[in-house]
This record gives sequence, C-alpha cells and structure tokens, in this order.
Amino acid sequence: MSTMPEPTPIATLPPLDDAGAGDISDYRANSLWRLTMRRLFRQRSAVVGFILLVILVGSAIFAPIIAPYNPEQPLIGIENVTKRQGPCIHLLGCPPDKPQHIMGVDGNFRDVFSRIIYGTRISLSVGLLTVSFAVLVGTFLGAISGYAGGLIDNIIMRVLDVVLAFPFLLLAIAIVSVLGPGLTNAMLAIAVISIPTYARVTRASVLSVREMDFIEASRALGASSRQILFGRILPNALPPLIVVATLGIATAILDTAALSFIGLGAQPPTPEWGSMLAIERNQVFSAPHLVFFPGLAIMFTVLAFNLLGDGLRDALDPRLVHGSGAAKE
Amino acid sequence: MKKNRILLLMGVLLVAAMIISACTATSGDIQQAVEQVAPTLQAAAQEVAPTLQAAAQEVAPTLEAAVQEVAPTVAAAATQVAGGSESSFEPMVVAAPDCDYGGLFKEIAAIDELTVQFSMCAPDPAFPSKAAFSPFAILPSEYLESTGGSGELLEHPIGTGPYMFQNWSRGEELVMVKNPNYWGDAANADTLVFRWQTESAARLLELQSGTVDGIDNPAPDDFATIANDPNLQILDRAALNVFYVGMNNKFAPFDNEKVRQAIAMGIDRQRIVDHFYPPGSEVASHFTPCVIPNGCAGEEWYEFNPEAARALLAEAGFPDGFETEIAYRDVVRGYLPDPNIVAQDIQAQLAENLNIKATINVMESGAFLEASDAGRLTGLHLLGWGADYPDMTNFLDYHFGAGASDQFGAKFPDLTKILSEAASLSTDEARAPLYEQANNLIKQYVPMVPVAHGGSGAAYLATVKNAHVSPLGNEMFASMDSGKDSFVWMQNAEPISLYCADETDGESLRACEQMTESLLAYEIGGTAVKPSLATACTANEDLTVWTCNLREGITFHDGSALDANDVVMSYVVQWDAANPLHVGNTGAFSYFSALWGGFLNAPPSEE
Repeated sequence: MSTMPEPTPIATLPPLDDAGAGDISDYRANSLWRLTMRRLFRQRSAVVGFILLVILVGSAIFAPIIAPYNPEQPLIGIENVTKRQGPCIHLLGCPPDKPQHIMGVDGNFRDVFSRIIYGTRISLSVGLLTVSFAVLVGTFLGAISGYAGGLIDNIIMRVLDVVLAFPFLLLAIAIVSVLGPGLTNAMLAIAVISIPTYARVTRASVLSVREMDFIEASRALGASSRQILFGRILPNALPPLIVVATLGIATAILDTAALSFIGLGAQPPTPEWGSMLAIERNQVFSAPHLVFFPGLAIMFTVLAFNLLGDGLRDALDPRLVHGSGAAKE
Repeated sequence: MKKNRILLLMGVLLVAAMIISACTATSGDIQQAVEQVAPTLQAAAQEVAPTLQAAAQEVAPTLEAAVQEVAPTVAAAATQVAGGSESSFEPMVVAAPDCDYGGLFKEIAAIDELTVQFSMCAPDPAFPSKAAFSPFAILPSEYLESTGGSGELLEHPIGTGPYMFQNWSRGEELVMVKNPNYWGDAANADTLVFRWQTESAARLLELQSGTVDGIDNPAPDDFATIANDPNLQILDRAALNVFYVGMNNKFAPFDNEKVRQAIAMGIDRQRIVDHFYPPGSEVASHFTPCVIPNGCAGEEWYEFNPEAARALLAEAGFPDGFETEIAYRDVVRGYLPDPNIVAQDIQAQLAENLNIKATINVMESGAFLEASDAGRLTGLHLLGWGADYPDMTNFLDYHFGAGASDQFGAKFPDLTKILSEAASLSTDEARAPLYEQANNLIKQYVPMVPVAHGGSGAAYLATVKNAHVSPLGNEMFASMDSGKDSFVWMQNAEPISLYCADETDGESLRACEQMTESLLAYEIGGTAVKPSLATACTANEDLTVWTCNLREGITFHDGSALDANDVVMSYVVQWDAANPLHVGNTGAFSYFSALWGGFLNAPPSEE
C-alpha cells in the first residue's frame, strides 16, 4: 500500500485546477500574464494594433514569397515600364497586358510594393534590435542604480541625465556623423540614446519594489543581493518596462526612418522606408505614390506598436488589477 | 525737479574742482621730476654726442647720392603733377624671373593708366575667352589690400557691374541693388535678390506661386508641366557640359588601367541618358561636347559591352569583381539632373554587369569638391563640368593638364605634353591633330568615364522679358525685366563665397557675375567674347603679348576709378602664391592654376 503514491511524480499529475496546483511561481506567472493578455484582448484598439503587427511580422517573414519582384532590381530592359509609373492593379482596371505594380514603379524602375514589403524586415528588425539592446543595458544600469543607491546611483543617473539633456535626434545625428552613415550605426546611435529612458523606468520601479514586504522576507530568509535583485525585484519591476519598450519600438522605427531620410541611416539601394521617402521627395507632386506608400507603411507600423503599447499599459495598470479588466478611459 | 538740477550742478562743480586740483598737483610733480632727471640727461647727451657725430659723417655721402638719384624722378613727377595729366600714377609691373615655373604668364604690366600688357611664355590663342571669365574679374587694388585678400572680401564684393552688393544673410538671401553709375546699359530692376533651394519641387512651387521670377534646373519630370503652364516659360540650356564617373589612379584597384577600361565598357551610358536625363541630352562620345571646336576629334568612347568588360576585369585579376564606393554630392546641376537616381542606377549596373559591389556615399557639396580636388576619394566619384568658355582648354586642361588638380591621381605625361602644345597653337585647324591624340589617350587611360552631356533649363514667369539661359550658366539678370522693382532668382544652392577668384562653383560664379566684371565678357545667352572693361585686347603676331585698353571713366562701386593697376593687382594676387594677398577662401585659386598653367612662387609640392 505504501508503494502506491510514491512513484508518481507531481509533475505528471493531471492538474486539478490551475489556481490550486503547481508551485508558487507557476501560480503567479499564470495569473499575472494570463490576466494581462485577457485584459489586453478585450480592448479593441490593442487588438487592431496586434492584428497590424501580425500582418507586418508576416510580411517580413514571408517577404520573398509576397514580393513579386527583387526590391533592388531596376526593371529597365526587363519589363515595359516607365520611370515613376503610377500604380497598375489589374483588378482595378489596369490593362492586363501591362505588368502589375500595386504601388507603382520608382525613379530607378523598381517595384515599390516589393520594396515596401522588404522594408518591413528592416523596420521591424531595427525596432526590435535597438530596443532590445537599449532595454538590456538600460535595465541593468537602472536596476543596479536603484538597488544600490547612494554614490553608484548618483554616478549612473547623472551620466544618463547628461545623455538625456541632448535633443534626441540631434545626438543621434552626432553619433552617426562620428561613426559614419549606415543602418548599423544608426541603430547603434538610437539604441544608445534610448538607454536612459529604460534605465530611469527600471530604477523607479526597482525603488518601489525594493521596499515591499516580500523582499524583506527574502532577505530575512538569507537570499543574496544578486538573488534579490535579479530573482525577486526585477521580475516584479518588468510591467512598466514592457509598456515603455513597446512604445519605444515605434519611436525607434520613426527615428531610424528620420535618420535615413537625412541620409545617415540605410544607404541605397536598401529598401528602407525613410530613404525611399528621401530619394523621391521631389516627386511629391509629379509622382505622389512614391512618397505616399512609404509614408503609409511607416505610419501603420508606428501605429501598430503605439496601439499595442497603450493597450499593454492599460492591461498592466495595477489600479485595474481588481477591476473588470477592460480599460475604461 | 529743481532740487535735482541743483544737486546735479553741485556734483559737476565738485568733480571739476577735483580735476583742477589733481592737475595742479601733477604739474608740480612733473616739474620736480624734471629737475631731478636733468643732470643725468645732460651727462648722457654728452656721452652720446661723439658717436652721433661720427655716424652722421658716415651716412652723409650715401644720403647725398640717394638724393641725387631720386631728384630727376621727383622733378619729373612734379612736372607731371603740374601738367595735370597722369596724376601720381605709378604703373605696377610684376614679372616672373623666367618661364621655368611652368605657368603661362611672363609679365603683367600696367603700361599707362588705361593700358595693361600681358606677356606670355607661350602663345595663348584662348586669352580673350579666359580674360572674359568671372574668376578673373577686376576688383579695386586698394580694396584687395585693405581686406588682406580674404575676410570681408569673401562676403562683400566691390566691382564695376550693373548691380552692387547690399546684403547677404547667410542661409537666406543675397540682395543686390542697381548701380546708378554703371557704364553700360543700366539694370532694369532696382533690386536683384538671389535665393536658393536644393529641392527642385520646392523651387517649382515658388515659381508657380510667383514669389520668385526665375528658377534654375527644374527636375526633368517637370519640364512638361512648366511648358504646359501659360504663366511660366521654360528655356532649354544647351548641353555644354559633361557628367562623368571619375576614378583616382592612385588607389587600388583603379591603379590598374584594365580595371578602368572595364568600368568604361561595363556602364550602359545610353540607358542612363534615355531614362534619367531630360530631352536635349546626349550620350557623351568624348569628354568634351561636340559643339566645342575639336571636341569630338579622335575615336569615340567604348561601346557598352558587359562580356568584354568582365573579361578585362578578370584579366586584371578581379574575376569576381571587388568592393568600392560611389561618392557624390546631392546637388542638381545641368550635367546631373537627378544625382540620387543616377548614382543608384550606376550602382545597380556595376553590380549586375561587373559584380562590383559599390556602396553609396553622399557627401556635402563643399567637402566633396575639396576631397575630389585633393585626390582623397578612393572609389568612384560622380562629378561633372559645365563650360566656362567654349574652348578645349577649359575642359581638357582643367582636368588633365599639367596644372590640373589631383582629382584623377597621377597625371599622364604624354597627355599633359600634348595638351600644353595644343593650347599654344593659334587656330583650331592647327590644334586638331593634337586634340585627336589627346582624346584617344583619354580613351586609353580612362581617368574617368564620360557619361552624358546633359540638357538642362531654367524657368521664368511668362511676364519676364528678355528671359534667357546661358550655355555657360551665367545668366545676366540686369537685362531681364520682370515689370517689377525687384527681380528674384532662385538657384540650387547658396554661393560659397563672393570672391570668385577662389571659387569654382557655378552657383557662386553666377552671383559674382552680377556685381563684378572682367576685362572682356561673353555675349548674353551665348559664348562669343565681347568687350567689357577693356574696349579691346589685341595680340602681337605670335600671340605672346596681349595688350588690353581699358574703357575710360569706369568707377567701382566704392567710387574709386578703374585703372591699369587694379587689373594688374587683381591678376597678381592670384598668380603670385607668395603675394600676401594670395589668400582667398581656401587659397586654391583652382581656375587660375588650371587655365594659366600654374602659380608663380608656388610652394614646393608635398610629393
């Protein structure tokens, strides 16, 4: 009789109910993140943002399948197109003997639609990479600063204050001018400049979490500083950071486009939306589709991240934790 | 109020009393001091006296001789002054010790107040064309001296032209006012305003809204729009220019002739002209446009042949291509109407035809020109040239002659020799065989790939009378009539400085040309040379001495009269590198060195 329950490990037991079973950390993760997701998807604007983002990520991943042409290939001598030709969509009455270009052809005889699709890859990776870098460094600095306090806090925060004192884009331009124009350098510049934002947010939430009772409890149980900071405080300081990072992706994409527009970001023939805008800026009246579509692409991407970020903020708002879940404002 | 006045009066009296007492005290002190010092001074004087006397005796004969020497000159001058003619005019003469310095000038001399004589080291048939060119404009010698050859001179030109400088708000506009004492036909508009805008769409918008009277270089795609607008007029500028892809033979792999030839064959120039240039443009068969005498002598440029180009590249050791850079400035010029688009097409062609991966490097205009002139561009560079005067020397000598910059790296001695020989011949027929050789050598060496002679244009409001474009890019706005008090011209870029002796940029030259004048001038809207400050420049039989007679009664904008010394000074500050006024904006004086062969007293080159 005594052998019956012993060989059955706890993990293989069918969960009786989510709230009651499993260890404590499982319980917390489930409740917080599941609740957040549930609240997030109850907001229509966040759902719109999420759908937009899915479309963008999809077109970035499947760009070679979706794009009808090579984005860097001039179609001179390959197809019968004219320079800066307007959109030709067969479904909308464009004669079938003319090649279809949904968003027209640019000044170098390249298919704009293909360039926009491939541009998604660049913009999304720019946004994610720069923000990830900035979040990693910023969180680390902010956490140390907030937890250690005193002189270390002072040194780190004053240095970051200096960075913050410069106008955002101006500092980015200065950094890129020193490093030399190019997409990688532009990303690096934007990442470096965003660090203080994330460091400040992290520091602020570390400061508030650090005073909570469960930290006191951990300390009483003999946890080391590192364990407390990275195992207890940081995970609990994450929610505001997630919101700021999501919104930060939008800013990063916009800033990269701005840097590319002034010629310091992506270099031709890379299909980056900002540089596409810049190169055809003089055709705003004679061939408006060349500035309209890249502009639209930038707008929708930024909108997607902003909507999602706003939704996340509402969903993670501690004041709404015990409420109905949906943001009311 | 009254109380205040009394107080004030008392204050003044008090101060006066203090000053008076201070003065009396001081005078007493001084008296005392003098009495103290007197004996010492006397002793010192006695001590020095013998030495002084000896020195005086020593100097006396020399002084006497000097006086005797000067006496006749002084007497002559005195009689001249008494006679009232040639008042105190001391003719200025500057001569090179010999012709070994490499330049064309041997001596520049004022003969009398209104005659200047240029003695050359070699015959110079192109002298009138060069003397009409705006970098060699005549400025008052006193003004050159007072500015030290830079500073104020760069910002505020004083010339003899139909317009006078009024104000230059950097970044905004350049304002000129009518010269009431102009010797020729007075300007139509009282005020001439130069503005600039790099975006062609914005330029066109300004013209359409009527805020400017004329714009330069509308975008190729906008030519039709302007032509169809009854309120506007578009004028085509003849394609007297060349757009080329330059290479510097000091940097690998362009030090290999085969690589350069491969690039020459591997770019489909017809495709570029067909798709990216406005009507009136043509593929460059030679570096110089065919309109220029002897421009198209010699063999035509390489046919587009990607297979042969790839084979040549493989032969040179680059079967898989290489990586390089395409540098250019994002500035619209008649020879390059759409720089970004053309650069990207060349980039795509190089990748496709030759497997050469080129990155694009857009540079600031001034920095780009400086880097290309100094020979610091390691990859390909896109640049062009607009004719300053319609002569082969203006194209070939400037780029490939002995005085050319380091833009294409090391010079080709056989080419420079032929060019200097050709430049010294007097007729186009005599020069023909030499220019045929020169063009063939250029084709063989490929210092650059000539791509196109670009048609361009300027657009004006339909109400502007006498609107014109110049194939040389020097539109004269004094002759245009907008029917208003002011005429506003919008060009592509701001002038770099207004001392055009040290500028090569057309946007600067055009601004200078409204205010300053050269000995001769080009006819309005054309290339023929006509008299200007000089009524004529005549040569001796073998074209080695050119004598120019200045027009009488011309005054500069500052009121001073034009004389032969102003001419000599204006040339000499450019010619003589050791002259303290040889400063300018960058000190390059590129046009002088390129067109007149080189500087006198040039510092030894760094190589």
